[in-house]
Amino acid sequence: MRSFRQFKYVTMFAAATAAFSVSAQAETLRLLTWGGYAPQDVVEQFEKETGIEVKVTLSNNEDMISKLRATRGAGFDLAQPSQDRIVSAQADFDIYKPMDLSKIETAKIIPSMLEATKKNTEFDGEVYGVPHVWGTSGLIVNRKTAATVKDYTDLCDDSLSGSVSYRLKRPTLIGFAFAMGEDPFAAYGDMEKYQAILDKVEEKLIDCKSNVKAYWSGGDALLNLMRSGEVSAAMAWDAGGWKLNAESPDITFVAPESGALGWIDTFVLPRKTKAEDAAYQWINFVMQPDVAARITESAGNFTASKGSDDFVNDTLKAQFKESFPQADLDNINWYPPVPAGLEEMEGKVLDRVKAAN
Amino acid sequence: MSDQAFALDAGAGVQEDLACTLLSKHFGEFAAVDEVSFSIPRGAFFSILGPSGCGKTTLLRMLAGFQQPDSGDILIKGQSVLNTPPNKRPVNMVFQHLALFPTMSVAENIAYGLKRKGVPKREHATLIDAVLAKVQLPDYGKKRIDQLSGGQKQRVAIARCLVLNPAVLLLDEPLGALDLKLREQMKIELKRLQREFNTTFVYITHDQSEALVMSDQVAVMNKGRFEQVGTPQELYYHPKTPFVASFIGDSNQYVGKVQGQSGKTITVVTEHGVRLLSQSSEETPPGSRITVFIRPEVMQISLGQPEAEQDNCLQVTVLRTLFDGARSQLQVETAEGAVLTVALPQTADFHALEPGRSVYVSWQANQCLCFPVAPVTRPEAV
Amino acid sequence: MSAEPGSLKRTQYRLGFWLLLAPIVLWLSLLIILPHIDMVLVSLRERVASRQYEFSFSNYTEFFTEPLYWNTFVRTAVMSIVATALTLIIAFPVSFYIAKVLSGKPKMALFILCLIPFWVSELVRTYGWMILLRETGLVSGALQWLGLVDQPVEMLYNDVAIMVGLIYTSMLFMVVPLVTTLDSLDKSLIEAGYDLGGSSWHVMKSIVIPHAMPGIMSGCIVVFMLTLGNYLTPTLLGGKDSLWFTEQIYTQFITRFNWEQGAAFGILLLVLSSLIVWLGLKITKQSFTRVMS
Repeated sequence: MRSFRQFKYVTMFAAATAAFSVSAQAETLRLLTWGGYAPQDVVEQFEKETGIEVKVTLSNNEDMISKLRATRGAGFDLAQPSQDRIVSAQADFDIYKPMDLSKIETAKIIPSMLEATKKNTEFDGEVYGVPHVWGTSGLIVNRKTAATVKDYTDLCDDSLSGSVSYRLKRPTLIGFAFAMGEDPFAAYGDMEKYQAILDKVEEKLIDCKSNVKAYWSGGDALLNLMRSGEVSAAMAWDAGGWKLNAESPDITFVAPESGALGWIDTFVLPRKTKAEDAAYQWINFVMQPDVAARITESAGNFTASKGSDDFVNDTLKAQFKESFPQADLDNINWYPPVPAGLEEMEGKVLDRVKAAN
Repeated sequence: MSDQAFALDAGAGVQEDLACTLLSKHFGEFAAVDEVSFSIPRGAFFSILGPSGCGKTTLLRMLAGFQQPDSGDILIKGQSVLNTPPNKRPVNMVFQHLALFPTMSVAENIAYGLKRKGVPKREHATLIDAVLAKVQLPDYGKKRIDQLSGGQKQRVAIARCLVLNPAVLLLDEPLGALDLKLREQMKIELKRLQREFNTTFVYITHDQSEALVMSDQVAVMNKGRFEQVGTPQELYYHPKTPFVASFIGDSNQYVGKVQGQSGKTITVVTEHGVRLLSQSSEETPPGSRITVFIRPEVMQISLGQPEAEQDNCLQVTVLRTLFDGARSQLQVETAEGAVLTVALPQTADFHALEPGRSVYVSWQANQCLCFPVAPVTRPEAV
Repeated sequence: MSAEPGSLKRTQYRLGFWLLLAPIVLWLSLLIILPHIDMVLVSLRERVASRQYEFSFSNYTEFFTEPLYWNTFVRTAVMSIVATALTLIIAFPVSFYIAKVLSGKPKMALFILCLIPFWVSELVRTYGWMILLRETGLVSGALQWLGLVDQPVEMLYNDVAIMVGLIYTSMLFMVVPLVTTLDSLDKSLIEAGYDLGGSSWHVMKSIVIPHAMPGIMSGCIVVFMLTLGNYLTPTLLGGKDSLWFTEQIYTQFITRFNWEQGAAFGILLLVLSSLIVWLGLKITKQSFTRVMS
């Protein structure tokens, strides 16, 4: 469900209405989030309990940053970018506002995640994010037609010519780098080394291009490609794999041998938020274990809410267990914050891959 | 039809440029052209005159090749052209709105046909200059079409066709868009051009004056058929059908009953009860219904009883004067209530004829025309 | 006495003139000129460190020195020109048929038939093509059913698919100006062309096409600009090899947060496409005012 990417129309419409409602009333929470993170029933319950109206705008990491950059941090009261994308965006564009952790019931949050997020979202001595939903990127594999796929680089196997899909975005570069035995996260601070890794990955991806059916951009499009059998293995989010697994047992999410890529989506305050109190109220509301479990069912991913697993249905838990034996869980590569300037280097690589024949 | 004889006569010779035999064209049930036959001698100015909707345009388009006849044949210089597409037929057409190509200059318009005909390019300039000189537009080659006046456009349209030396030039009411003065000039000009190029012209028009002034032969067309073919004089003075009599020139028409006949002269009593003497070439039994045609210009007006013996003389009351310069007319009414239109001579005597004044109109019996009223067409009896 | 009301009238007239002019001036300046000035300014700066920018032409030199961007632009322009030419070739006979052969109800019916695809959004139209052309799509299925191929065929994700989508999307913008100009062509001009000895080819070449030239050019300009600026169709139908310049701009703005580069690309697209249109007009000896009137 994290998969809604091209929600241009919805977001444009919502942005327009948001712009109009700025002066309307303070008791409105304009939430910039991912698909599935604010299910209708949760929103309704929150509105009933607090009297605050919630306006949801669906988005993704890049889109959130672009939107907030364009308005210099106005137009929304609460946003949910991934933890690794916060510091560089704040450094470059100054679009966020530090979190007041005293207003958050931190006891409800799994301590290790809270600490990790605090560390990763710290900029100039201030903390900007608290964790919400976490998940991984790995492989979605059709076990009938692509049983050999155990790692990202297996996608380039000759037997899978024309039936593979992945995104042309940074997670793919990182994933392939790990699968090729490199540690890109360790090279984050060393531009030269990082470039060398990227060059290797670029060569591999260009080589691999004939295997690619299409570079997916919208998660629904990928699910359709997998469903129809046109694609038998792909790099994608775990939740999508579990969703397909529920429909057809042959397809499932596989944690790659070199490690799944772990991400945590957070809560951050846009710099010009107009409903800060409402934003804290929302964060505390969705961190209640039973509410968090409902979000897990809707989004397909687990949350940072302590104890919410007890409320999650057994299918999802079973799927999670199957995809993540303890070893794989320990093997997850968690995204550290992206230093500024890295994305430009990655962008050029992605451009060249796209242009290659 | 009565004109078949004429058509067949001429058709026997080799001198004709264009001949048609039993040409027909139907649109659904409607016969636009109905078994028309005619032939045109070389170098003649031939007009087809008829009201709108009579089929003359369809006929012309068949000659040009834009429409296929349902039956009959078209011969140009003795050769059937039925299977020749319009771009291969040795005829050219001057269109109603001239259809000069607006994207080309005058010279390019003229050169268009020359190129298509395969005339070598080096000869073009000479031919174009020559034809422009003939239509009295020397040095107009470089002008754009929208720089020309209406009359100049006419000449270019004609030059564009005549430079190709067509066997027949078809003209589709090309003078219709001109104002009156220019139209009068162009009538004379067209006639001159036709003489100079010595090309057969087929000219269709609904304007009798155009047809009469320019033509050697005029065919009067009505409801898809030729009513009469003849010289302008024949049509005017000796119309063979009531349609021709009424269509060519003005006429006062009265329907009446024959009372008696002595020799060629018959006595008719009109519906209003006016008694008239007329001449008839046909046998008209007493009691038969008849239409009498009297042209306004044959009647003489006099303020008093005319001295010379006249076959018909009526005392009438002036209703109104229809002033039109030399073509002025006077509307008068007989005691019985029949209204007559009379040509008004432009002499001082008649300048002050106010309504209500009593005058005399008189004319000779042989100046009238009469035709039996056609019996009402009945469905074919079993 | 008489001068008073006269001057009053003139003032009123002038006021009316400015009032009528105001919306267009506002529209032009607020929505077109100002954003473009801003774009130019943004494109002329370079990020030197976080929140620090300096004046620089580097974004422009980047375009000319990095073959990737230049190649993408050339490819986009060439594909757009080809798409425009093919649209013209397909639309011309259709328009001629609508304008000069048909009349009355069938004419309207066919014209509306050409309009119908445009009642749905471009996204839906493009998805329609995807449903038809994909490996598990209708065309592939039909070919298998007919026994012409023995396994599914992928017709999506290549340049031909992009071309088909672009032509389909552009059709209307070519048909409408063509029908309008061809409608104004007097039928007797065509007949005169034949009458003076021209074959169908000659009539087309020397009479119909010269007459339709303003319509052809205005259609071509609109189609070319729309195609060049299209984003959805090449991206969705082209798949992994789509490589469209607008995609590049989108990427720079949205996924790279590199507004400076994106703005430079946007300005370059504007300038280069205007240049191509200007060249096209020069070659066909048409003037812009005539084409757009």
